[in-house]
Amino acid sequence: MAPVIGYVGADVPVELITAAGARPWRLAGHPGADQTAGDRYLGRGVDPATRSLLSRLLDGEFGSLDGLVVSRDCESSARLFYALRELRRVDPAIALPPLHLVDVLHLPHRTTTRYVLAKIRQLRSALESWTGTLISDDALAEAIEAHDRLRCLLADVAALRRSGRLTGTTALSIMADTTALPVSRAIDRVAQLLDGDHPAVPGKRVFLTGSGHDGPHVYEILEDAGLLIVGEDHDWGDLLWHRRVGAPTELALAERYQHNGPSAPRASIRARAAHTAAAARACGAEALVSYVRDHDDAPAWDFPAQRAATGLPSVLLDRQPYGDLTDGARTAIGELA
Amino acid sequence: MTRLASASAATAYQKQWFAGLHDHDGPLALVNADAPQEIFRTMGIPYVVNQWWASIVAAKRRTQDYLALLRDRGYPDYVEQYSATSLASLFDPDPANAPWGGLPRPSIVLAETTGDASRKIFDVWDEEPDIAFYALENAAANDVPVRWWELMPRRWEEAIGSDRLDLMTGELEGLIRFLEQTTGRVFSESRFREVMALVNEQQEWNRRARDLIARARPCPLAVTDSIPSVMVPQWHRGTAWARDAARAFHDEVAERVAAGAAVCDDERVRLMWIGRGLWYDLDFYRRFQDSHGAVFVWSMYLAIAADGYLRYGGDPLRALAARFAAFSDQLYTPPWSAEWYVKEARLHGVDGVVHLVSDDARGSYFTTRALRAAGIPVLELHADNVDARAASPEAISDAVATWLDSDVRGPAGAG
Repeated sequence: MAPVIGYVGADVPVELITAAGARPWRLAGHPGADQTAGDRYLGRGVDPATRSLLSRLLDGEFGSLDGLVVSRDCESSARLFYALRELRRVDPAIALPPLHLVDVLHLPHRTTTRYVLAKIRQLRSALESWTGTLISDDALAEAIEAHDRLRCLLADVAALRRSGRLTGTTALSIMADTTALPVSRAIDRVAQLLDGDHPAVPGKRVFLTGSGHDGPHVYEILEDAGLLIVGEDHDWGDLLWHRRVGAPTELALAERYQHNGPSAPRASIRARAAHTAAAARACGAEALVSYVRDHDDAPAWDFPAQRAATGLPSVLLDRQPYGDLTDGARTAIGELA
Repeated sequence: MTRLASASAATAYQKQWFAGLHDHDGPLALVNADAPQEIFRTMGIPYVVNQWWASIVAAKRRTQDYLALLRDRGYPDYVEQYSATSLASLFDPDPANAPWGGLPRPSIVLAETTGDASRKIFDVWDEEPDIAFYALENAAANDVPVRWWELMPRRWEEAIGSDRLDLMTGELEGLIRFLEQTTGRVFSESRFREVMALVNEQQEWNRRARDLIARARPCPLAVTDSIPSVMVPQWHRGTAWARDAARAFHDEVAERVAAGAAVCDDERVRLMWIGRGLWYDLDFYRRFQDSHGAVFVWSMYLAIAADGYLRYGGDPLRALAARFAAFSDQLYTPPWSAEWYVKEARLHGVDGVVHLVSDDARGSYFTTRALRAAGIPVLELHADNVDARAASPEAISDAVATWLDSDVRGPAGAG
């Protein structure tokens, strides 16, 4: 059976995990799960989605992982890494997989590319050590091609969704599924979906910005209220497939992950507003909804510029509980729908 | 006890210097506290430190006014208030009535892309006409040697790692070119070396002062005196005035120690304050002297000056990169932060630690755990250092008094 490498954050170059003969599994929290351990080690100032993820990891819900790669796609992921690193040092009785930080950064400078390339190479070595598999250039090329193929298919899913024949909940779920499957099976899974019949689905077409969503809970609430989420700009959704690697090299991999985005925690307000406006327009959105979890610090700063750039009727739902909406937010959504 | 002359002198100097900024004609920068200010010093570009200004606003009890200005513009008033106060000052409709005559409008703002919100705050600055934001990349290490304070002065390459230093050095070269082009000022390598030497001299005086205070019984000065005596010169580091101010502070501490001066005649409990200064209630730090004989002998401001800035050897620009490539890790990232606080607690012989825990991602568990594992009682205060909405001064004081009564015993079993 292939080794399983858990990973945290969309900044982890999954191609390297695949090339090492392992299955990449993007770890997620769950709104209903006990979150005690995450609250204890991370404190209550961290995004609750990450607190939940840490709790699940420590509670053994992800089984026995052969390694764990954490990115700094946002501050809560960084804090998760620091907590795990420190737990390994001060409390070795806690069973934890081998741990590695891949520090992908995003400023658009050559110095950053050089740094990210070094981090890609270090991750490659760590994975080789964990799996006992030397990652050949051919294996890397094959993995890059496969993951790019998956991204192309997810773009087709997005097109289907934009045509009004797929709910946001279904689209998000299929994208999440692909982050837990071997890439070949993920490709089959998406192709199967695309082959099916998809009647038109009703709802007011909205573009969702703000926090990332590692599960369908909020999407279900919004769509049950009469909205149809036709696109989003977080990396469990459309930002997952948006940019391809394009060439079979470590450098291309470094540049893909450096320039991927623009995600709320790592991109400028200006870049976010331009992207959101263009994406909302491409989706034919009639309104903009920004859903921001409590202690997810970046997205609320983006909202004024996003609202202005899209020119759409907009609503900001800030300081929301993980996987849910406050009563006030539900009222605001009801008025929008 | 009378206030330290060095504290009064530093505050007076800062007021005079700041007043002069209102007549300043030329480039002016606003920079984060953990930014490489030495480059601005070298090029003769004056700068205001973002968090210093927030501390002034908080001390004048104006923070809520400014947070409301952010709220009015649709920005969150509940995120990184310490770093967002200066931005809010930009929107002040009545700057003439602002503290110290108001924050002069900068032409350049500089910050690292730390956290998720810090960069956003500076993005808003960048939207203003004639204000340019220069962002510095913020990197992290997979693995670090624990006892950083022993390595940093001379073995900083080993402490931080070459990848991070390569990156930050490249970032600083970009910053210098940016400033040369946008201000017309020259970056003189000779001048830069003088600045770097002055900074090391200054921090050596701070180190000696820290060591004196750590050994002294009773504590010879209030932390509310040491903070301006250290931090005003810190914001002017790289000047002869700042170096001399640090020396004057040290000499004054030495005189007090020699004279057996005490900030509290009945010192029974030595306390450490971990976290940013509680700027809206500075009286807090003296509040438990009469009631409990409890004296705050430690804050991070002198200690980080003593341990966090010294960088010797190597290429000067790479040494500057080494000062800031991992600066916040020293204070906020385990194992560095946790082990350093334990080292400092032991050095100062503290009987208890009051740990300010803000509602942000920095977390507290591993620092508190390490101190308690070392046998030191810790009180976690969940509050913000500038935004009193999170916890009132009364609630904070009550919590500390209760904790002193129940958990803390001084060296003689008193308390």
